[in-house]
Amino acid sequence: MSLPAMRVVRPRTVEDAVRVLAAHGPEAMILAGGTDVVPNLQMRLFAPRVLLDIKGIGSLRGVVRQPDETIRVGALTTLTQLLATESLRLRYPVISSAVRSIAGPLQRNMGTLGGNLCLETRCRWYNQSDFWRKSLGGCLKKEGTICHVAPGGDRCWAVWSGDCAPALLTLDAEIEIAGPNGNRRLALSSFYRNDGINRIALGGDELLAAVVLPPRTAGWRGVYHKLRIRNSIDYPLAGVAVVMNVDEQGVCRDARVALGAVNPAPVLVKQAADWLIGKKYSPELVERLVHAAIQTGKPLTTSASSPVYRREMLRVFTRRALEEMWGMRPRTPNGND
Amino acid sequence: MSAYSIIGRPLPMTDSPAKVSGLGRYADDISVPGMLVGKILHSPVPHARIKKIDSSKAEGLPEVKAVATGRDAQRPYGILPIGHDENALATDKVRYIGDNVAAVAATTEEAAERALELIEVEYEPLTAWFDPLEAMKAEEDWIHEGRPHNIEKEYHHEFGNLEEGFSQAAFVQEERFYAAEVNHAAMEPHSTLAIWQPDARLTVYSSTQVPYYLHRTISDVLEMPMSEVRVIKPMVGGGFGGKSEVIPLEIIAPILAKKAKRPVKITYTREEVFYAHRGRPITLVDLKVGLTREGKISAVAARVVQDGGAYCGYGPVTVLYSGALLGAIYDIRNLKFDGYRVLTNKPACGAMRGHGTVNVRFAFESMLDMLAAAAALDPAEVRRRNLLQAPCVTVNGLRVTSYGLPECIEKVVERSGWLEKKGKLPYGRGIGIACSHYVSGAANPIIRSNMPHTTVNMKIDRDAGVTIFTGASEIGQGSDTMQVQIAAEVLGVRPERIKLVAADTDLTPVDLGSYSSRVTFMAGNACLEAAKNMRAQIFEAVAKKFGCIPDELESRDDAVFYRYKPAQRIAFDEAVRCAIDFHGTLVARGTYAPPDESRGGQHKGAGVGPSPSYSYAAQTAEVSVDPETGEVTIHRVVAAHDCGKALNPVTVDGQVIGSVYMGLGQAMQEEMLWHEGRLMNPSLLEYRIPTTLETPQIDSIIVESEDPEGPFGAKEAGEGSLAAAIPAVANAISDAVGVRITSLPLTPEKILEAIREKQKQDREKNAATRSEKRGAR
Repeated sequence: MSLPAMRVVRPRTVEDAVRVLAAHGPEAMILAGGTDVVPNLQMRLFAPRVLLDIKGIGSLRGVVRQPDETIRVGALTTLTQLLATESLRLRYPVISSAVRSIAGPLQRNMGTLGGNLCLETRCRWYNQSDFWRKSLGGCLKKEGTICHVAPGGDRCWAVWSGDCAPALLTLDAEIEIAGPNGNRRLALSSFYRNDGINRIALGGDELLAAVVLPPRTAGWRGVYHKLRIRNSIDYPLAGVAVVMNVDEQGVCRDARVALGAVNPAPVLVKQAADWLIGKKYSPELVERLVHAAIQTGKPLTTSASSPVYRREMLRVFTRRALEEMWGMRPRTPNGND
Repeated sequence: MSAYSIIGRPLPMTDSPAKVSGLGRYADDISVPGMLVGKILHSPVPHARIKKIDSSKAEGLPEVKAVATGRDAQRPYGILPIGHDENALATDKVRYIGDNVAAVAATTEEAAERALELIEVEYEPLTAWFDPLEAMKAEEDWIHEGRPHNIEKEYHHEFGNLEEGFSQAAFVQEERFYAAEVNHAAMEPHSTLAIWQPDARLTVYSSTQVPYYLHRTISDVLEMPMSEVRVIKPMVGGGFGGKSEVIPLEIIAPILAKKAKRPVKITYTREEVFYAHRGRPITLVDLKVGLTREGKISAVAARVVQDGGAYCGYGPVTVLYSGALLGAIYDIRNLKFDGYRVLTNKPACGAMRGHGTVNVRFAFESMLDMLAAAAALDPAEVRRRNLLQAPCVTVNGLRVTSYGLPECIEKVVERSGWLEKKGKLPYGRGIGIACSHYVSGAANPIIRSNMPHTTVNMKIDRDAGVTIFTGASEIGQGSDTMQVQIAAEVLGVRPERIKLVAADTDLTPVDLGSYSSRVTFMAGNACLEAAKNMRAQIFEAVAKKFGCIPDELESRDDAVFYRYKPAQRIAFDEAVRCAIDFHGTLVARGTYAPPDESRGGQHKGAGVGPSPSYSYAAQTAEVSVDPETGEVTIHRVVAAHDCGKALNPVTVDGQVIGSVYMGLGQAMQEEMLWHEGRLMNPSLLEYRIPTTLETPQIDSIIVESEDPEGPFGAKEAGEGSLAAAIPAVANAISDAVGVRITSLPLTPEKILEAIREKQKQDREKNAATRSEKRGAR
């Protein structure tokens, strides 16, 4: 499969990059690691005129602890670099747990944090070759008018299939977005729109510059459970990230639960903090949270694995992760070590 | 000192340096000046008549040098003489989404793809058939005119006395098993380069397992003499059956090249590999087996329906193997088989590693465990009680000459700790056993004849280098290395002295190809004979020089010596010069054809199944099942394989481990998913072959039964171990959590559902027992 004919532009600064974006609008597409973009271009999910290769922008790299104790992670930091950064691994274990589960080592060497947070949503009716999609007559997300997941509806259910986002949501991460008027900060939770087509709140002339991690959630226990068929390569079929700050008495001081790969956006289970703060472990409490999780996650027929099974795994993973946070269950080894 | 100096040694494969250095050339690596890129337009509809094709717009693009349609090659072809039902480009109808409609050759891939979009095709839709059972009921819109009710072929065999057999059974089990469709997923996608030479001859480089059949088919379809066609097989990155018949691009590339008057290369995308397919069909197996109180199989009845896709391909052979290979593994006297190969509007199925036997073996070995449980017998013991007494001829006419199955079972039982583990592991962990077997080549050729199945030529000139000319196709399985080792052993020379020219129809004699695990047995025997003939010429000359008779000479370590006084010796190159003085350049030939006694019975379909020899395998799998998620972790597989004699133990281990790996892929996760004839997962991202992380420790154990007719006693090693892996895991899951999954793949979802169902039944049973007890009180 060939790539579409396009002009590749390689800016050296964020300002230059933003200028190119502003000039070309939707005709331009950002390329970082390329692990998502390149196959999508080959499949002609996009045919931009301009490919903006931002890999040469040095200011988008690196992990820095800032004066206010936040940690700023540049969007171009590769997933492999995230795993190798000790300050992250020790202070925010949920990140390592999630990143380790992404694709395989080769993709993690190429793939970036920013790219992972801006992944295209995925659906079995959409992530197909040009020939395949046209033989079907397209779908709501591209080239068609019918959603094959929920026929009759006017909403695209393509699934948020990144692993980093749920983990970062649990850490109250913020993001830095560069645009023509400089940088703006946004809570990561406000970045995602729960719409399979317009998935993220990123303007056509903007690019994701960095992720900022607050000191408040540093040191919290955390784990990410991922449903997939293979222990490498596969995108998630469901993902559950849980973090908890537990004191010596086993009392939960704070906690978050987030889900990925079951909705068009990664989502926080809203009730988690309210219900868990000040509580010790109890099976009833865990079951209550599990119930909230499966109310929040809405898997549909977007992948080969059935919605029923994916929902069931949300249940198991949420329960297991919470038990693990409270020390009621041994730590889950990370599959990809 | 071993009786052999080269045979039995773990030599590195001769093509390894080229592979690991990246210097080896596969079809897609070959480029020639002026070469164009060929691309194929595929059908977007599953079943339709083509009303009109208008390619004028595509032809108008300056980068486009040729457009081809079905009009350019109207002679149908097919691998079986009874199944010439394919055209490389559709002539009147399309029969599946992905069928080949037209093709273009252009200066760039991008331009070729753009040109395809400009070809306008008008289709008149026909009813499409996706489910084999529905397709069999069809009264109209049959996929092929001459195949009423979409039945490609059906066979009905009965041997012995079924009624009597079942009447002797103390336990009779009936079950329906299902196996999903799987693809070979060879690393290398198909690729073909066609070059019309200045003298109007055609040269084709193609990633094929069967250069000889390709040679024949090109000649037939393009209506030109075979002598003007040259097929060269470069390095092949895996076949597994997916390249064992002529694939549309192999015809389309020559047609485009002829029209464009320039060389054309076509390399399939992965999606196109799935459309070309030829993989293992969706299979329904209705199996009924009777077991006596003593644990003897008293009767077997199997009804097999295979969803063959839109073309015949190897179909009748696949379905016949599924019946024939019920025999030749256990002692079964009463056997009934009803097989149906059904056409549907999906890509054509074909031969895939373990051709025909795999899904039926899954059913049979699963059922043996169910019967063992009913009879309260150990599953390994049930298998032991049903062994053949070789040599023998089975009730369905298969001649078994060597039979290492008993030793395979003993070895895996011992190595796996079976006796300590079976039925004794904690809930959630289990062990299972299963056996399988396979042919060492088909005793009957696809195109019936009495010609040799293979010929090997050999030449030695003054440099004392030995050149083997062989038609046998190295596809990664070790064909070349095997022949080098055999020749080196017989001639008594270092393997480095031997050069090998293979699979080039201008240079090498006919070999039928790399399929049905025939190469070691057949090309090996031919190479052995050629080397012996060569040695005789050398010995004759040396004997004259030594003043002895040739039978008193031996050769080893690059020297020829007098057996009774080894100090009397001459170096091999000197011996060669003696012989060349005598004969001129030394040439020798060897051939192989299976003996008549191995060619099977007389019933309809008896031609498929017979082999000069059978390999045997037994395996144990140890697994854990997470009862909350249904996820299975396979910890270890112990695989014993009777390959007759391991000519090269490292390549045998590699084949056994590869077979087990591939079997586990089918067992656990591989599945082609369909939605109204549309393949939902035509990529290696969504068609999930296992990674190293899911692959357990696999202990390969070589068993050597020394076949009386195999070269140095060798028989097949490349396929027989696949089929056992699947039921071994299914049986282990049953041991772990007490559920029997009868449908492949054994997904966590199915397992979890079965566990829940069992828990529910157990609860109900307990409740019933409790209330009974209360009642009794």
